[in-house]
Amino acid sequence: MPHTSTTPPAAQHHHNSLTRIGWRRLRRDRIGFAALCIVGAYLLLALAAWSGLVASHWQDEVAHPYAPPTLFAGTAPHHLELDAADIDAADRRATSAAALDSSGATGLSADEDPLAADLAAAQQQSAQYRSTGQARADSLPLGADQRGRDVLQKLLQGSATSLQVGITGALLALAIGTVLGALSGYFGGLLDDLLMWGYSVFTSVPDMLLLLAFAAVSGRGIGTVVLVMAFTSWTGTFRLMRAEFLKHKGREYVRAADAIGAGHGRRMFHHILPNVGHLLLVQFSMLTVALIKYEAILSFLGFGVGVTQVSWGAMLAEAPAELLQGYWWQMLAVTLCMSLLVTAFSLLADSLRDALDPKVK
Amino acid sequence: MLAYIVRRVWQMVPTLFGVMLLLFVLFNWVGGDPSYILAGKNLSAEALAGIRQQLGLDLPLPQQFLIFVRQVLTLDFGTSWSTQQPVSALLHSRIGPSLLLTGSILLLGTVLAIGIAALVAYLRGSVTDRLVTLIATCAMSVSALVYIIAGQYWLAFKGGWFPIMGWSDSTLDNLLHYLPLPLLLGVIVGLAPDIRFYRSCFVEELGHDYVRTARAKGLSEPVIMLKHVLRNAMIPVVTSLMMSLPYLMMGAMLLETFFGIPGMGKEVVMAVERSDFPVIKAITIYIALATMLFNLLTDIVYKLIDPRVQLH
Amino acid sequence: MKPHALLATLAALVLLPAQAADMNKVLRVALNAPETGFDPAKVSDLYSSTVTENIFDPLVTYDYLARPAKLIPNTVSALPTISADGKVYTFRLKPGIHFAADPAFKGKKRELTAADYAYSIKRHLDPSIHSPWSFLVDGRFVGGNELVKAAGKGALNYDAPLEGIKVLDRYTLQLTLTATNFNYLPILAMPAFGAVAREVIEANRDNTNAHPVGTGPYLLKEWKPGSRIVLEANPGFRKLVFNATPGNDPVDKAVVQALQGKTLPQVGRIEISVIEEEQPLWLSFLNRQLDVSGIPQAALQSALVIDPKNPLKVRLAEQYARQGIQLQRQLLPEVTFHFFNMQDPVVGGDSKDKIALRRAIAMSFPVSEAIASIRRGQAVPMNYIVPPGVAGHNPAFRGAPKYDPAAANALLDRFGYRVGADGYRTRPDGKPLAIELACGTSSTDKQWNEYWQKTFDTLKIRLGFRQGKWNELSKANHQGKLQMWGMAWGADYPDGENFMQLLYGRNAGDSNAADFKNADYDRLFEASLKLPHGAERSQLYDAMNKIVVAQQPWIFGDIRMRSTLAHSYVKGLKLHPLLNTSWRYLDLQK
Repeated sequence: MPHTSTTPPAAQHHHNSLTRIGWRRLRRDRIGFAALCIVGAYLLLALAAWSGLVASHWQDEVAHPYAPPTLFAGTAPHHLELDAADIDAADRRATSAAALDSSGATGLSADEDPLAADLAAAQQQSAQYRSTGQARADSLPLGADQRGRDVLQKLLQGSATSLQVGITGALLALAIGTVLGALSGYFGGLLDDLLMWGYSVFTSVPDMLLLLAFAAVSGRGIGTVVLVMAFTSWTGTFRLMRAEFLKHKGREYVRAADAIGAGHGRRMFHHILPNVGHLLLVQFSMLTVALIKYEAILSFLGFGVGVTQVSWGAMLAEAPAELLQGYWWQMLAVTLCMSLLVTAFSLLADSLRDALDPKVK
Repeated sequence: MLAYIVRRVWQMVPTLFGVMLLLFVLFNWVGGDPSYILAGKNLSAEALAGIRQQLGLDLPLPQQFLIFVRQVLTLDFGTSWSTQQPVSALLHSRIGPSLLLTGSILLLGTVLAIGIAALVAYLRGSVTDRLVTLIATCAMSVSALVYIIAGQYWLAFKGGWFPIMGWSDSTLDNLLHYLPLPLLLGVIVGLAPDIRFYRSCFVEELGHDYVRTARAKGLSEPVIMLKHVLRNAMIPVVTSLMMSLPYLMMGAMLLETFFGIPGMGKEVVMAVERSDFPVIKAITIYIALATMLFNLLTDIVYKLIDPRVQLH
Repeated sequence: MKPHALLATLAALVLLPAQAADMNKVLRVALNAPETGFDPAKVSDLYSSTVTENIFDPLVTYDYLARPAKLIPNTVSALPTISADGKVYTFRLKPGIHFAADPAFKGKKRELTAADYAYSIKRHLDPSIHSPWSFLVDGRFVGGNELVKAAGKGALNYDAPLEGIKVLDRYTLQLTLTATNFNYLPILAMPAFGAVAREVIEANRDNTNAHPVGTGPYLLKEWKPGSRIVLEANPGFRKLVFNATPGNDPVDKAVVQALQGKTLPQVGRIEISVIEEEQPLWLSFLNRQLDVSGIPQAALQSALVIDPKNPLKVRLAEQYARQGIQLQRQLLPEVTFHFFNMQDPVVGGDSKDKIALRRAIAMSFPVSEAIASIRRGQAVPMNYIVPPGVAGHNPAFRGAPKYDPAAANALLDRFGYRVGADGYRTRPDGKPLAIELACGTSSTDKQWNEYWQKTFDTLKIRLGFRQGKWNELSKANHQGKLQMWGMAWGADYPDGENFMQLLYGRNAGDSNAADFKNADYDRLFEASLKLPHGAERSQLYDAMNKIVVAQQPWIFGDIRMRSTLAHSYVKGLKLHPLLNTSWRYLDLQK
């Protein structure tokens, strides 16, 4: 007799054991486990950066602008650093020279300035604010950016921001999409029509418009970026979940659950959801990955985090100008760093899916 | 089925209405004031008031909305506020290049992705499968921006194999000359995630009992793959295709900007920047109509593929 | 009248259309922002002006080679006669100049007449057109205000007699100003005041932006808005032969050598692309897909060899010099600055503590550092409201305060801006102090923002950014909602009045973005309007600058040095401070 799946999957009655089974399977899968470790490491680093333990002084200009990475100091293009003092001096020379020939005024004299006395006094009291400049390094492990900031520190701090943005956005988008999609696919009828109406309306408005709208309302910064991405990305999950719930609703095991008296909510989230859980996991990994990359594009367009924060996207936004001048290290560092995380995340998701698939014995 | 189609077409009306409402609220709330751009250096109160009047912005909101409704019904959105060109002429010239670009990316990308995904799903567990998956995973971790910037620099400028940017009036010229590089980059950007997703769909289908049944019955793997698995896996595949349309607009915008392709994506950005409401209105309505039609088509295809699906 | 007309016809026949420009010579250039349209009474952006400048003819124009810029007749036979009181300008047009062919002319050759200029100027007064240049004509012509009032909200009555803009005969135009102004002529040299034909405007009423028909050297062949513009030589353009004697300037000598005796324009076709991204623009130029181009900021380092001790002294990089690429540079007649909203309760006002706050911020902004880093040294600090190259500039004046954040901090201490427990200053009355700076969203804006963050961090003042698109911010500023914002102002005409009016009390809410209202300044400004450029007026300008430096409504920024590159086969190029393009003077010798 062919074995048809009329009985609900094991997940329903033995939650704990599936998790344990899944964990055991994951441990055995070496690539998956390695991926888990890598993702874990990133999360730890991000947490450290976010709490200020690491890279809290990323804004300090510790090196010369565009200082190359230490290993490549010899081959990197030389950056001509212009000195503000020289520009100032050249300017002064020009105005002094002009003053010799002209009879016009040369500036505000002390008796014309309402603040003259105060300024003189301030000069005398300014000693406490004078700071000696700090020495600037000629090269750093991963090089420096245009302002002379350490790329390594920016990378660490940026990973915290980007991860935060990506994960939060993905979870939010997933939650919205799943709930709405489940309701829509399962109940159908008027609720489906209403939600499909919302979905159609939302997908019809170009992303640009939604982006600008949200940014204008809630200002710019991390919060807005997360909200914006969640509100423009839930539609994919919605559509997928709706299709899946539509598909599963007609399946025998659901009808069986109905027969034993399970209510709608139970049927949806206790019976169907675990069966589509692995798809959700794949969705989550794709979304996180997509949103981390989407953040890069948002930063490129000017919607990213402000100047007091740094994210991978903000670092990538500096890439076109840098590449044109031959400074490759910041872009390479960000690309590799992002690549490693995203790859690890995706592989982890694959392994999780395999580990948690109830049909794989 | 027919009743279903009729009902869905009928449902487009409230959707269109919803889009118009959303657009109208969005724009009047956050859209920026075009009179400031049109006034140039002359910012006197009279000049601004005069411009607003000419653009119809001084009318009460409900009246503006009714005018909007009329425009949608006649599909005539008037003239662009910033260039005074008739909007329909503007869009007609923009749609061609965009469709050519995104259409070819979608076509080539999907065919390649499904082909490769089916292959690795078939070979699942083997070294090839893991290698391809790994490469795809790595490839998709790189930002589209990096591909475009690096691609333009290395392949067009340093290599000289493609023109750096441009677009011509002749489709043939575009197909041979200007399309290949943006097409290549667009496909590369989208290929990896698609391969991974389709692969997971196929693998999921392969895990179903009916496949085991088919094997037990003695059917060969290729036949199982082609006749049974692909058909059932098409639902999430088609869904994913639909999902990718909104993202295509965004990705195409980057390609259009860097390669000087006069398409819709770039037009939307410019219009939003200049608060050019007629252009934004027109593009949004057209996209809304297209999306609705696509959704309907998708659902019909569901029914054809999977008889178990109950369409309400 | 008859013999005159006969003579004119004969002259027209003799002045045959120039030998057609070479259609095989195609000039390819790029704009780095999209254009708007080509109706001179409707557009004011730089990018549209590059096109209108080549399609329409104003009455007068500038000599190509003379520096400082010198006005010369364009469609007039000589510079206008100006009455002794400086109010009446009389122009005599050259007969035999024709508009480019257009269906609106019904197959006839349409000659340029004084009535065309009268019509074109009146269009800027027309309330239904909302010309962005109306501030240059409003109230300037006798009877103008009455005519505008009579029009109400509708179109101007172009046929009604107007004393201030009068056609004396077919080729004679007389302008009568309401107030003495010896400096009105440069305004008439602007592309906005080029001649349009009434029939064409009326035939294309709804879409004048797409149908520019003028008497200039080029006509519009093709237009893909925001993407591509193609101009072709106007076959009916009057015969214009280049004739100049060069001085010692090697650039002048090269131009004369290339163009002397030749009929202009030489280039038959101009293809203009809109390329906003820096990389494609630069690569296109290097790849010879563009003939003339600016240097994007990111490419400055590789294109120029900059002398670190004197960054304005540059050479073209070896690899480009070898290809014969030409470099020309010019200090733009513009100013960039940041302003405070003088009506704002926190940063505005003229009490000493507010002045001190503004002065402290001005003293802490590292202008020279920003020039070194963002402009790569290709700019000079701004020291006077009127920039170099514009009549009224004073090169000896130092208007920017010395960069001294330590003293600025001490200054704030003195005025009671105490540092609180959280490390940030409060207002003298104890309320929290937070300042908001409005800014754009581009990556260059981000670079500037980083310097502003540094400035405010050094002063320990809380800083917030208000990001937005230009039109949003402009509206907010109009409504008095911004505290600080940055602006640039380029010369519309080469006279200091165009810049000094930016702080005139009556212009508050208009071009006076800072809403600065100072009675002394206004008095001095009004007095300066009555004087021609000279020592007396300069004294008034100096006094006005001192007021501004003392009160600090503006933080002076910098003035950019424009670099333009052209390939070796482009001949006849000389950058002009006021003309937007040199296209009609170029020749391509490939």
